[in-house]
Amino acid sequence: MSLAYETIATLRRRLLSKEIHPRDILKDLFTQIDAREKTLHAYTYLHRESALAAAEKADLSLPLGGIPIALKDNLNALGDPCTCASKILEGYKAPYDATAVSLLRQAGSILLGRTNMDEFAMGSSTENSALGLTRNPWDPTRIPGGSSGGSAAAVAGRIALAALGSDTGGSIRQPAALCGCVGLKPTYGRVSRYGLVAFASSLDQIGPLTRTVEDSALLLSVLAGHDPRDNTTDLRPPEKFLTQKNGSVQGLRVGLPKEYFLPGMDSETESAIRSAADWFKKNGATLVDVSLPHTPTAIAVYYILATAEASANLARFDGVRYGRRATDARDVLDLYHRTRSEGFGAEVKRRIILGTFVLSQGYADAYYRQAQKVRALLRQDFEKAFTQCDLLLTPTSPEPAFPLGERTQDPLKMYLADVFTISTNLAGNGAISLPCGFTKSNLPIGLQLIGPRFGEETILRGAHAFEQAHDFFQRLPPS
Amino acid sequence: MSAPQINISDVASLARLTLTPDETAKFSAQLSQILGHMETLSQIATGAVPEVTPPAQPALRQDIPTPSLSIEAALSNAPAQANDLILVPRILE
Repeated sequence: MSLAYETIATLRRRLLSKEIHPRDILKDLFTQIDAREKTLHAYTYLHRESALAAAEKADLSLPLGGIPIALKDNLNALGDPCTCASKILEGYKAPYDATAVSLLRQAGSILLGRTNMDEFAMGSSTENSALGLTRNPWDPTRIPGGSSGGSAAAVAGRIALAALGSDTGGSIRQPAALCGCVGLKPTYGRVSRYGLVAFASSLDQIGPLTRTVEDSALLLSVLAGHDPRDNTTDLRPPEKFLTQKNGSVQGLRVGLPKEYFLPGMDSETESAIRSAADWFKKNGATLVDVSLPHTPTAIAVYYILATAEASANLARFDGVRYGRRATDARDVLDLYHRTRSEGFGAEVKRRIILGTFVLSQGYADAYYRQAQKVRALLRQDFEKAFTQCDLLLTPTSPEPAFPLGERTQDPLKMYLADVFTISTNLAGNGAISLPCGFTKSNLPIGLQLIGPRFGEETILRGAHAFEQAHDFFQRLPPS
Repeated sequence: MSAPQINISDVASLARLTLTPDETAKFSAQLSQILGHMETLSQIATGAVPEVTPPAQPALRQDIPTPSLSIEAALSNAPAQANDLILVPRILE
């Protein structure tokens, strides 16, 4: 079997026993990439030569020694492009490594390539990429989810073993759900954001997309920790996750928030999630009905706060210091206008305008400040729920992958696709999505497990036990 | 709070964007629909609720100089430069 179909944990064992060499993994991955990338378009950039060179001198004694990993195209890696799938960053080459990237390098991993995304991570379908759309490996007429759609399609399509993504409102978990892989959004403050191109700084978090929960834990163990360059990172000492895998959920209290089971939701999704809850109960967990009463406000709160923060963060793209610069500008103001108007795509402009509006004089109290207050209420909902349970169990997405082009003209409908993921970002908690079933038309369905803040060990244990008791993670998309 | 009419061109100008007539028409319709959805927030009682503020700084680093980007690296992406400075169009008449 091609090594491209293996998990990181298995490959690490085979590398350490000298059964295989890192170059063998890359060879098999590039064979797969040559066969599938033309259809999927998961990558924006591939490191063919430098990856093979790195494989020859890989240090297998390191935790990810010899393991190739892909990066979402919004993470700076020294000397590489970092386009954020935007025309405005054409020609930019990163002058430094993001902390997450330097941790991967220090752990011995090999950079395989950069993955496609919605422009500046704004979107839920990867259709907002200036570099072309990405297709779902399970059905190439459908979206892979977004914004880390390239990372999810690469992992699910067996053209990457694992990839990093970023999650501001569900951008790791929703594509993981729609592509049938594992996506982990760590607790806010768990992983350094230094070198991640900022979208909404109070919500952004970097995390892994992998085939299995064990691989997710391996990557989180490398990425987690305080970084003096990101003062929002927590000071707790480094942890190794999922070192004990007993597969038991005995005694676990699993909360089912009633607001996440909506009348009229996709019936196959609901049935798969209810079956997953039943599995937890049959295996010794207690199911608890809980309420997160402010859930219906989350979309509005999110799209006010995220766009407000984005309008400030994206002010830096002005054609002065890096990236695209418009030609023939009359003066500096004209330079800003032309560069930004030519460089940003429609969704980015729409969000910058919305964010500027909700912060503007006369409207900031009614929109921005009110949203910050309701965000506090959303956080209280989670804190209260976690006095009654250890994990929350919900769908990741209200429906499986939708057809390409279906929502590009209806941004509000696109925003509603994030209804089950954004509250977690607003509250700051960690959450995982893992496969829990397939529709009749063979599209993956994702289960979301949300933990208390810094409760990743509980999330990973619960997810690992569920995963290993089922064969969903072993199913392959059609080739 | 009823959904306000946004003067899209004014707001775009604050954000240093110039919209085409097509964009202006399209964004106006889409943003008024989105703001209509956001009206739900005005019905939530938040009188005594404090706004969420950024997390308390867990630790302030020591104020000790450490190595940072070299001038060459910092200027490596500048669209136009001379004498270790970034060139921009004239800002004063």
